[in-house]
Amino acid sequence: MCGIIGAVGRGDETLDVLLDGLSNLEYRGYDSAGVAVSGGDLSVAKRSGELDVLEKALAGKSLPGTVGIGHTRWSTHGPPTDENAHPHMDCTGSVAVVHNGIIENYQSIKEELAAAGHEFESETDTEIVPHLIEAQRAEGVSFEQAFRHAVGRLEGSYAIAAVLEGSDTVYAARNDSPLVLGVADDATYLGSDVPAFLEFTDRVVYLEDGEVAELSLDGWDVTTLAGEAVEKDVRTVDWESEETGKSGYDHYMLKEIHEQPRALRQCLQERVDELSGTVDLGDDIEAAVQNAESIQLVACGTSYHAALYAAELFRSQGVPAQAFVASEYVTSPPPHDDDTLVVGVTQSGETADTLSALRDAQRRGVDTLAVTNVVGSTAARECDGVLYIRSGPEIGVAATKTFSAQVLAVNMVAAVMGNGSASHEFVSALRDLPGQVQTVLDETNAREVAERFVDSDAYFFIGRGYDYPVAMEGALKMKEISYKHAEGFPAGELKHGPLALVTANTPVFAVVTGETGSEKTVGNVKEVEARDAPVVAVTDGRTDVERYADEVLEVPETDPRLAPVLANVQLQLVSYHVAKKLGRNIDKPRNLAKSVTVE
Amino acid sequence: MDAVVLAAGEGERLAPLTESRPKPMLPAANRPILSYVFDALVAADVDSIVVVIGYERDHIRDQFGNTYRDTPIEYVTQEKQLGSGHALRQAKGAVDGPFLVLNGDQIVAPEMVADVRDAYEPGRAFGALGAIEHADAAQYGTVSIDDGSVTAFFEDPANDEHYTLNAGVYAFDERLFDALDATPRTDGELSLPSTLERIVGDGNTESIQAVRTEGLWVDATYAWDLLTVAERLLDEGWIEGVAEEDDVWVADSARVHDSAVLRPPVAISADAVVGPNAVVGPATSLGRNATVGANATVSRSVLDVDTRVGANASLHEVVAGRAVDIGAGTVAPSGVADIPVAGHVVEGQRVGAVLADRVSVEGAGSFDPGAIVGTGATLGVGTHITGRVDRDTEVVR
Repeated sequence: MCGIIGAVGRGDETLDVLLDGLSNLEYRGYDSAGVAVSGGDLSVAKRSGELDVLEKALAGKSLPGTVGIGHTRWSTHGPPTDENAHPHMDCTGSVAVVHNGIIENYQSIKEELAAAGHEFESETDTEIVPHLIEAQRAEGVSFEQAFRHAVGRLEGSYAIAAVLEGSDTVYAARNDSPLVLGVADDATYLGSDVPAFLEFTDRVVYLEDGEVAELSLDGWDVTTLAGEAVEKDVRTVDWESEETGKSGYDHYMLKEIHEQPRALRQCLQERVDELSGTVDLGDDIEAAVQNAESIQLVACGTSYHAALYAAELFRSQGVPAQAFVASEYVTSPPPHDDDTLVVGVTQSGETADTLSALRDAQRRGVDTLAVTNVVGSTAARECDGVLYIRSGPEIGVAATKTFSAQVLAVNMVAAVMGNGSASHEFVSALRDLPGQVQTVLDETNAREVAERFVDSDAYFFIGRGYDYPVAMEGALKMKEISYKHAEGFPAGELKHGPLALVTANTPVFAVVTGETGSEKTVGNVKEVEARDAPVVAVTDGRTDVERYADEVLEVPETDPRLAPVLANVQLQLVSYHVAKKLGRNIDKPRNLAKSVTVE
Repeated sequence: MDAVVLAAGEGERLAPLTESRPKPMLPAANRPILSYVFDALVAADVDSIVVVIGYERDHIRDQFGNTYRDTPIEYVTQEKQLGSGHALRQAKGAVDGPFLVLNGDQIVAPEMVADVRDAYEPGRAFGALGAIEHADAAQYGTVSIDDGSVTAFFEDPANDEHYTLNAGVYAFDERLFDALDATPRTDGELSLPSTLERIVGDGNTESIQAVRTEGLWVDATYAWDLLTVAERLLDEGWIEGVAEEDDVWVADSARVHDSAVLRPPVAISADAVVGPNAVVGPATSLGRNATVGANATVSRSVLDVDTRVGANASLHEVVAGRAVDIGAGTVAPSGVADIPVAGHVVEGQRVGAVLADRVSVEGAGSFDPGAIVGTGATLGVGTHITGRVDRDTEVVR
């Protein structure tokens, strides 16, 4: 899990372009960073730590070169040290390589190379690649052929790019890790995702597994590993680079929390029609979900909580549905029949565990649908159908607006199950949701709640029915960015064990919206209150839970299926303010990365 | 040239609409006032826009983000609203070379901005400002002009002498920041006009160029002035991003029932819905995702984002903020009213009703002309409202 950038055609600006690209990619990993520039001499600079450590090291120095590659790292093999930072080089210092992914057969290749006299400086799997290229070059093979040969030896997942001393060409290849070309009139870029180079061009070419890209001063070319030409479409992405700045906020996370009304409007646009009371997601999705006799959802992290919610929603439509943690789904696939639909929920469309589960389903002949934010992502390309949630770029590692949009999107899927004819009331409620999120943002007291409980020992979150995934998500958000202990439970489970952890210094956030079962949750709240734990009720006011709460986070009353979106916004804000008060690195929490593209 | 936009103030006289957002974010036809200010700056080819934000600033950042039509935006914060000069002072260090200054809550024709930009000669004068002839100049800030230079500023002209309006379009260079620092504060506040008055006053040799210009200039003093602002913009055809046919603007993603009637000029924003047999217009704008139900009639009104008008409602000269929910059968007729605002009475105003953000009219409500309802108030079924209802009040019959 790392970020890769490359640039050819920018002349003296190459180093600046690489550093800009890395700063746009930092959310993909940030425990070390490095660049290599060539075109003449090959120069490499790399440092452990966040990107600014590298930038400081480079301040005042010029790294001459007209083509280059760069890397920001999230460690999988070897701790974050200067040595383990990318780019990695060969023994002669003439080849530099950056890599994202995991090379599964690196040990055997490394032993083979070591036996042939190659010396290694790092503990990474990546370092074998420059040495493989060096070994071929020593036999008089061209840079291009040496690169193809080296890549051909690799097993596992990789997005990989290499530069050579004295060459103004960059070679790149991918297998199971994302890699995109950015195409401008006079320059070509390489990135793990589009925001890496979005400020330079919005025209992109998505590389597929097993393809090799050549970036040179003459332009770009894509071939198979064996060297056969491949026709590639150049697509224009409609994200604007403006969406990837902080708009004067201290953190992307808060900016993105505030972007939720807009994200939800985009998600709904021209998909719901209040005049006819219908939802329209296109014929393909409609056919796929209407033909499904059962649905299995696969996802990880926050997306898994959206999947948990979706499963309950689909069951309420009479369709057997279950959510699975994607990595477990792969390990132990559940039984399916011919009419099962597997839905992958993944913000980036690149989450390795989710892709693996979707591929597993496809191998077994099951139809797949991706619910994703990233147009042209691997999940979007590989699945039989795709539903875009249209949230725009999400940079903060803690997912916020994309969860809300995922929940909204699956509500539209559920509406389509019944021939697209929801009810006028429900379509009205969908259309009112963005404005209600705005109401929560305008009127929230989450900061005061956060300040009151910032020193607590732990935080528990409970909810029932549709509120249960919100409780889980509330706890995940708190863990991710505040580093405090937080757990989410189904409200009824509290008394079956976790209640033993509840003390006067462990606030319990009770999500109580809608009607079904919420009176029972109020009963659970009373159990907590009796143990002297402070209670924070997140409520739409349909119950009297406020009577038992120390603090109340109110949300507007709406359709019970949509209230969880509003409740979740309150919990996002509580986590944000707790983390801010504690001085955490909110956009880049320790040990985490935005989209995890290794299994 | 860079530009600074002053958007930190609240605009108390526009209460209750400004209870939860700043005046620059109030709707001028179907977009925030501030977006027209940015339009004028983009038309004047500025390199970047520095926006001074303060009161309820998140609304501005959320709406505009990091760029406006490819022109970069930088935000600087004025924590306490201590006057226009103090606000401008916050932009020191964010601008480079000569720069323009505009108010974020007044809409000016792009030509005025270009005129001031072109006329300013930093070598000859300390600054420049746009001056226009305006029938109601005495209601706003005015200037006296002699031989092409400003000789005096009046923030609150008292008599009926002839005044020239200070259009609030300025050009300066870095010297302004020193002048702001050197100006004594009045009651803790520092206004830009008082600083400029000191500059051109006795004993100073600096001058400020008066740039005579003309064109559209609108400012909403009171909430109901937004009706006139919308009408002026619709008449001018200054409606962006929406397809027009014969003074009817309808966004692609809006849904207007075949049997509904749109009477020009009228603007229907993205995602808005107009139901069967509804009649909308003239001089009316619907904000994004607004809804007008079946058989409802809405004329000379401004309905902001997410507002809903129920079936059979009849609204005339109504300003509704965000997410206002007007129940079925509600009636707001227009008429002439005397309206108390901040301690004095504004007489003879034509207005149906002003409903602040998230007001809920539960059904079959009615309003006396000039009724003003605060944010989040709930008006029960069949209630009749006269005068003012405060924020979050619940009214039952």
